[in-house]
Amino acid sequence: MKIHSKTKRHLVPYMFVAPFLISLIFFYLYPLISTVIMSFQHIVPGEVEFIGFENYAKLNDEHFFIAIKNSFVYTTLTIAVLIPIPVIFAATLNGKKFIGSTIFRSVFFIPSLVSVVVAGTIVRLIFASPDGALINSLISYFNITPQKWLMAGKFHAMFLLVILATWRWTGINIIYFLSGLQTIPDELYEAASIDGANTVQKFLVITLPLLKPIVIFVTTISILGGFSMFEESYILWQGTSPSNIGLTMVGYVYRKGFQSGDLGMGSAVGLVLLVIILVLSIIQLLFWGFFKRSES
Amino acid sequence: MIRYRSRQSLISFFLLILFSVFSVITLFPIFALIMSSFRPGTDLMRFGITMESLLNRDKNLDNYRELFFGERSLFNLWFRNSMIILMLQTSVTVFLTSLVGYGLAVYTFKGRNVLIGLVLILMMVPIQILILPLYKMMITMKLMNTILGVMLPFMLSPIAIFFFRQFCLGLPLELMDAARIDGLSESGIYFRIMSHLMLPAYGAMAILEGLRSWNNYLWPLIVLRTTKKFTIPIGLNTLLTPYGNNYNVLISGAVIATIPIIILFLMFQRYFISGLSSGSVKG
Amino acid sequence: MKTVRTILAILILMMVPFAISAGGQTDSAGGDTPITFWTFNELHQQFYEMAAEEWNKDNPTRKIELQAETFPYNDMHNKLLVALQSGVGAPAIVDIEISKFPNFLKGQIQLEPMNEYVNPVVDQLVKSRLDIYAKDGNYYGLPFHVGAAVMYYNVEIMDAAGVNIDDIKTWDDYVQAGLKVKAATGKMMTSIETTDQWTFWPMISQRDSDFFNPDGSVALDNKANIATLEFLHNMIYKQKIAATTPGGNHHSEEYYGAMNAGDFASVLMPMWYMGRFTDYMSDLKGKIAIRPLPSWTVGGKRSAGMGGTGTVVTKQAEYPEIAKEFLAYAKLSEKGNIQLWSFLGFDPPRWSVWDDPALKATNKFTEYFVNDDIFGLLLEVKDEINPVTITEQIPQASELVKGDIMFQALGDQSKTPAQALKDAADKLRK
Repeated sequence: MKIHSKTKRHLVPYMFVAPFLISLIFFYLYPLISTVIMSFQHIVPGEVEFIGFENYAKLNDEHFFIAIKNSFVYTTLTIAVLIPIPVIFAATLNGKKFIGSTIFRSVFFIPSLVSVVVAGTIVRLIFASPDGALINSLISYFNITPQKWLMAGKFHAMFLLVILATWRWTGINIIYFLSGLQTIPDELYEAASIDGANTVQKFLVITLPLLKPIVIFVTTISILGGFSMFEESYILWQGTSPSNIGLTMVGYVYRKGFQSGDLGMGSAVGLVLLVIILVLSIIQLLFWGFFKRSES
Repeated sequence: MIRYRSRQSLISFFLLILFSVFSVITLFPIFALIMSSFRPGTDLMRFGITMESLLNRDKNLDNYRELFFGERSLFNLWFRNSMIILMLQTSVTVFLTSLVGYGLAVYTFKGRNVLIGLVLILMMVPIQILILPLYKMMITMKLMNTILGVMLPFMLSPIAIFFFRQFCLGLPLELMDAARIDGLSESGIYFRIMSHLMLPAYGAMAILEGLRSWNNYLWPLIVLRTTKKFTIPIGLNTLLTPYGNNYNVLISGAVIATIPIIILFLMFQRYFISGLSSGSVKG
Repeated sequence: MKTVRTILAILILMMVPFAISAGGQTDSAGGDTPITFWTFNELHQQFYEMAAEEWNKDNPTRKIELQAETFPYNDMHNKLLVALQSGVGAPAIVDIEISKFPNFLKGQIQLEPMNEYVNPVVDQLVKSRLDIYAKDGNYYGLPFHVGAAVMYYNVEIMDAAGVNIDDIKTWDDYVQAGLKVKAATGKMMTSIETTDQWTFWPMISQRDSDFFNPDGSVALDNKANIATLEFLHNMIYKQKIAATTPGGNHHSEEYYGAMNAGDFASVLMPMWYMGRFTDYMSDLKGKIAIRPLPSWTVGGKRSAGMGGTGTVVTKQAEYPEIAKEFLAYAKLSEKGNIQLWSFLGFDPPRWSVWDDPALKATNKFTEYFVNDDIFGLLLEVKDEINPVTITEQIPQASELVKGDIMFQALGDQSKTPAQALKDAADKLRK
């Protein structure tokens, strides 16, 4: 096996990962370090000054807490919706006797091909405030008064954001879960059937536990996606939402860093966001016993 | 037994109906957008999508004519820019991340686990917080307002690397040894043998990465400065401004921005779904 | 590999038409000086393009080529701020809106002073408008207009309700008229912005109040402001003669649609809003009359100077001299000021043209509005306009008014008017 030029062979793996190392240093590590440095600075055109923890002290701000709260609620709700529903859909679509399963999974996937700008525009138009707009005329059928969806307040705002996320991401999560379901051997279900288990029991006892790795993966990307949500709200309210009902953490970074031109403050908020995401992800992974499993 | 079979098929039938309803709900917004794109855009912005705008027979192609041939319309340029970025970014990203993922999966070497850990951590870094320094970097590198500036920083997506690594864990490593005995170099093994086995993974990532680049919004918004260089999503959002009456172009542009990618997906969807399923997320 | 090739082939095929269509682009005329220009308002772009044509006629040896771009309001200001901060990427000439302007006067100012052009004519300009865009004796931005706030009445609705708009002298009269309108037609007297400041700010300015006191301290939660916000709240929820603006502000397409359909009997906006009527509310042609604002007390102030955009030359301009000269030509010259009126419908800041016969001439605004002499209205109220106090905190204050106060007090009513103003004021004082 070990034929010749052993040292050269040793270098081969590094050649493969070299692009990653270069991009890691240039486009992740360097920016991350400068973000940390900037978070301790006050930056105006032509003048940079170190101000210690002042930027972090300024985070004691009502808007910052609204942003955290909105991001947290949004993440929680999207996880609460975008895990159970896709799991059930995937389990159903995975059934052997289910006709048209391939067509359905494509159909559910299509919304995730639509860009945020377009999806946001659709939501704006369908949930427009005039009484004749689609959703308003639909709910008046059921004797609910037409709503000024985008301008009505925080509950409506969150509802629209979650609807938008559900529409766009259900399909892709179905595919993730389907990929997990396909690794579950049929024999398990057959054995369970012989033991007299019904569909629901089989789902709870076999399907769910074996889907755990995928649930972990989807939860992780949902935490990241939920906390870094910004564009949806930016499109829906064109920048500033009334009473900050659509303000998210990244929206706050954008507002401080770009809108008010306070790069130092923007960096500080960004780093807090990073810490929140990392901590939540690690807690989540610990909860699932992820680290224990990967050691074995 | 017969009763059991008929009950099964009743359930199947019921599920079929249920899922058809869900499908209609899922596709309806896109259908509504398409139908509305044949109506005046200002009406849509004023009254929203209404039953009237869906059912009215007075439909025409004016919006599309304005979109493609309008005197002030830049849509053709935006489409071209988006296409160039889509093709370059997708091919380079898929190629490079597949190399890295492959390297992390099939070789054991010093520092490998550290790198895998880094990939996992980087997956969680929201790119938005890196934007301020990256912005400064693009300026020093004189890449502002260039296509390269849009693509370069996010060429290597950690999620794609992770995906390729997971996929490559399932490759038959015996083949590699056999190839080495035949005197094939390591790169030869990748290009002449393994890359063929990785086709489903390429397909899946090509679509996902293509989607990411086609719909990318925040970073191009910051890098690109002249309207002629805009990509479709940014261009479309420019049209949402209250100071210009471009709504006709906005709605038809939104349809055109969506249709090509849906067609592309439908053409390769089986490939894509099998690729994603066989490779993805095993833990 | 075959599939990969198919994908590539399809992508390339999709490219072809666009590659061809892009081939036809050429950079225009060699000798002209290129000047880049950004704005957030397409009408402003057209104004400067027209000015550039005029300039080229007047200066055949020093022609310029104006490369103008219109971006969304927020995006444009953000891009500009970051470009000036980092030293590259800014245009030569750019429009900066009043409530964002102080952001650009921080640190080492990245804008060119326009003093050499302003000083010779400074005594012919409305100085309070220039001071908004000045710092330490340097004038940076040139204003578009005086921004006199007025009331636009839909006379068709007012007639149907039997209200003579010339009898509306005070805000109390206005409310009474509103009750009549509501009773007779069922329509709302007016709409009140919940995501912008153009209803609230002029009304407090009229009663000599502002966001800040002249010494720069926060005035947002003073008695007059609380009373004004409560007055607005009452119009919506007590007398029920006003509604929150569809779409949140008077620049939203939903509002244009509702107003155009005759849902509201009047609207308070500055004179620069005339262009929105002519362009976006064509059904109301011949139905809109412009009058001074109702005053708070008999004989009180009937207008306020609102909004504005200062056009500046940045330090990054490639040819700053010609850029400055062109800007002065477009905005300071008498010719330019006449164009500001006849093309944009703005009340021009150079008062030496106010009695020019050109301002009495027929144009699209005189044709649209019921008034015989729109400009005479400005002359009538010009001494009743308070200056606004612009401080470094205006961007934040304006953001709080637009984003928090109006919506919390009038929209979802999560706070009382007094509470909303107080909370915001406390934030500014911190």
